[in-house]
Amino acid sequence: MMRPLPLAACLALAAALPMAAMNAQDVSAPAEAPVPAPAPAAQGPLTGNADNGKLLTYTCQGCHGVVGYKNAYPSYKVPRIGGQSSEYLSAALTEYKHGNRKHPTMQAQSESFSDQDIADIAAFLSTVK
Amino acid sequence: MPNAKHAQRLAIALLAALALVACSGNEDHGQSEHAAEAGSSSAGLPKGRTGNGEQLANAKGKATGQSCIDCHGADGNAPIDGTYPKLGGQYADYLGHALQEYRAGRRQHALMTPQAASLTDQEIADLSAYFGSRPSQLRDLHGAH
Repeated sequence: MMRPLPLAACLALAAALPMAAMNAQDVSAPAEAPVPAPAPAAQGPLTGNADNGKLLTYTCQGCHGVVGYKNAYPSYKVPRIGGQSSEYLSAALTEYKHGNRKHPTMQAQSESFSDQDIADIAAFLSTVK
Repeated sequence: MPNAKHAQRLAIALLAALALVACSGNEDHGQSEHAAEAGSSSAGLPKGRTGNGEQLANAKGKATGQSCIDCHGADGNAPIDGTYPKLGGQYADYLGHALQEYRAGRRQHALMTPQAASLTDQEIADLSAYFGSRPSQLRDLHGAH
């Protein structure tokens, strides 16, 4: 899949290089060069791709795919997540990713996910019936 | 197959327990107490009563002025905001764990943290039993792929 961030970074670099060359002679304000900000920083909610989410969630079955499977220490059943809303699932994964919500396995899993991955996973899981 | 898996897990758990016992022979008391405390979070809740849970689920919480149903909808199945989870038919012990985490401040939410702060163990058990007993739109991922 094409990732927008590296693409945008390349574009930003291409735009910034000639400007930097120009500013090299301008000693007064090197830090304030109007380098275009990386575009995707301020975007709205991502649109999830459920097909990609399906691929990304094979691993989840190890715990969430076993009916009545129990988390150890403390002991409780791993929650049912199929059919939960995509907004809730995105929020939960993002909280785990940033360490605001604690669970060793879930934190480890979500650290490797991009925001787009999380949107894709949420899109797929919310449609599971 | 699950038996083999369980046996393996059990063996690992037993080994871990043995290791813990072996370690606690030292002057290392603080550490083993800590481990025991961390391990006992959702164990030890009393048995939940769905009738009491239903009443409580409809009662306005002092902290927020909202009841569970006000935000999570009838049977916990119609949340008024997409970021609020569906609760109906969720595993009761998971719901109990979530409420305990909110009550302890280990899980944070602008509404749920204050809402759960004053709940007793019995109330957590009752609410969990009630929502766990409701019809569900949720499922495990078994066969979903």
